[in-house]
Amino acid sequence: MQHLYKLIHANPRFHELERKRSRLSWTLAVIVLANAFWYIGATAFYPEAGFARFWGEPVGEGQALTWGIVIGLIQTVLFIGMVVYYISRANGDLDALKDAVIADALRAAGEQK
Amino acid sequence: MNRQNTFVTIATLALLGFAGTASASIGEAIHNMFTLPANTGAINTKAVSMFFGFVLISLSITVWAAKRTKSTSDFYTAGGNIGGFQNGLAICGDWCSSAALMGVAALIYSTGFDGLIYSVVPFGAWPLMMFLLADRLRNLGKYTLADIVSLRLARVPIRTLVAGASLAFVVGYLIVQMVGAGTLISNLFGLNYEMAQVIIGVLIVLYVAFGGMIATTYVQLIKAVLLLSGATFIVVAVLAKFGFSLNGLYQAAVDNHPLKTGVMQPGGLLPDPVNAISCGVMLIFGGAAMPHVLMRFFTVPDAKEARRSVAWAATFIGYFYLLTFVIGYGAIAFVMKNPDFLDAKGIIIGGPNMAAIHLSEAMGGDLLLGFISAVAFATIVAVVAGLTIAGASAISHDIYANIFRHGKATDAEVVKVSRIAALGLGVLGIVLGIAFKGQNIAYLIVLPFTISSTVFFPVLFLTMYWRRLTTTGVVVGGWLGLATGILLLVVGPTIWKDILGNAAPLFPYKYPALFSMTVTFVTMIVVSLLDKSERAKAELASFDDQFVRSQTGLGAEGAVQH
Repeated sequence: MQHLYKLIHANPRFHELERKRSRLSWTLAVIVLANAFWYIGATAFYPEAGFARFWGEPVGEGQALTWGIVIGLIQTVLFIGMVVYYISRANGDLDALKDAVIADALRAAGEQK
Repeated sequence: MNRQNTFVTIATLALLGFAGTASASIGEAIHNMFTLPANTGAINTKAVSMFFGFVLISLSITVWAAKRTKSTSDFYTAGGNIGGFQNGLAICGDWCSSAALMGVAALIYSTGFDGLIYSVVPFGAWPLMMFLLADRLRNLGKYTLADIVSLRLARVPIRTLVAGASLAFVVGYLIVQMVGAGTLISNLFGLNYEMAQVIIGVLIVLYVAFGGMIATTYVQLIKAVLLLSGATFIVVAVLAKFGFSLNGLYQAAVDNHPLKTGVMQPGGLLPDPVNAISCGVMLIFGGAAMPHVLMRFFTVPDAKEARRSVAWAATFIGYFYLLTFVIGYGAIAFVMKNPDFLDAKGIIIGGPNMAAIHLSEAMGGDLLLGFISAVAFATIVAVVAGLTIAGASAISHDIYANIFRHGKATDAEVVKVSRIAALGLGVLGIVLGIAFKGQNIAYLIVLPFTISSTVFFPVLFLTMYWRRLTTTGVVVGGWLGLATGILLLVVGPTIWKDILGNAAPLFPYKYPALFSMTVTFVTMIVVSLLDKSERAKAELASFDDQFVRSQTGLGAEGAVQH
């Protein structure tokens, strides 16, 4: 197994896989953290901070519904959507690339024998 | 100011349960719950019979599962044969304790908008888990979190740390659930507190000791379906009263609540931003690394199914949290001004934690009340089952098989120790549940989340992502962080001031996670960098292999064929 690990680690396609996956993961993770801490920040710094002030305002004239509620609902749906997007990438093109990398290594190991 | 006090108080208890308030004495709270005019002495037959139905079904499944639970792998991971969809539902069952239903509703009922922080922010842990942890966890792990960390690092010191922290996590969480269950049951079913402890304890031992992970999975799954359908029913009923207009519902809440439009605005945590941020750190990072939840990633055959489980889990949990946007405000609209649910002083009977339960009665009468009560009890039983199997795996797999027997124990021996451990945890749960009756356990609610954000998240994260990490770094950083977290909890407002009766806390914040997690991260990094030992060099050299395995799943534990 260790031999295969070395072969894979030497394969540039493996590093392509790793770069792609890590760019995807970190971009999405930063969006999630920014949203979560925006929410915490809004409750902590309302109404002084500019990024929180409009959270308490009604979405329309005479409405009880506020932007804060709408943002909370949107964030929850957004998080679900991001998870679904991630899985479509990870189980799709990224897994295909992963399978190709493993196949390369198995082939190379076969040739060496 | 008053609003802020209420918020902080209820925020703490809403984290996990309804154990009591930090500032008011829990004894009083429980006394109030016992002296419900509506329920005193009367056994709620609808609720009890529906719960009995749940018990019958779950025990039949346990009998079936027991026949299929032979090896260690069956016991802890159901042989790695659970599908992504089922596992997703089961994870939803593990995650949504009764706090998610009753606690969040209680918070919104009392403080309005700020209560939603306990829906939106912990949910952020899910995408985070998916993007950063899920694949690698499945590819590197076997039965427990310690497996992942000790893959490259020294077995004994790492397992001692991770298993020790896991047991502290499990026991803290267990007490909260047991005490919560006792109070809830005496309140809803009209059974007494001790009886509730014994019922839960016995059920858990039967599920876990005999049915292992297979039975636990199905118990979680059924509970999740019951919880989601019950909550959906309440939400549809509430919205129907307003012609399915969200604005109509919120208008009614604004009209009823003393805060008026304030109930729709943020505001409770303003005087103390550090506490708020520390609480957020604890919820999101602690939530992303809970051992009984992450353990479920090992029950699926590969990383692909692990991702599917997370996607399903996130969908169900996110859907559930969306429902809390309606349930909390629905309680304000239909419970707050309804004399049926208020005592002589106009205060909600049983405390804010009963808001969701009262709402179910307001929406669907006795039948829905019985159903939701049975669901609430089933929820606690299922969460305790998940905790027990996580605790039993730490005892038998990490401590017994790997530390004491140095990996030389036979499969049959490990399974036997697991069953004994499950029995022991069941008995411990009953004993502690009774011992903590009437105690102020607010600190125990923060403890598990503090441990998981302070120890599990940093350790797992650096194990997977940082090649320079060494055993010495993990051990020093992990223990120091854990000690810091517990110490800051002890000298913080909840224990030092409220329980021990000192005038002022030595540490001003209720949530130590921001500080203790920083201590763990910084110490692990600094100590690892300073570690020039031979072992550290070997650990550094083995990172590439682990990294390839974590990315490709090559060499990962597969599913067991029967």
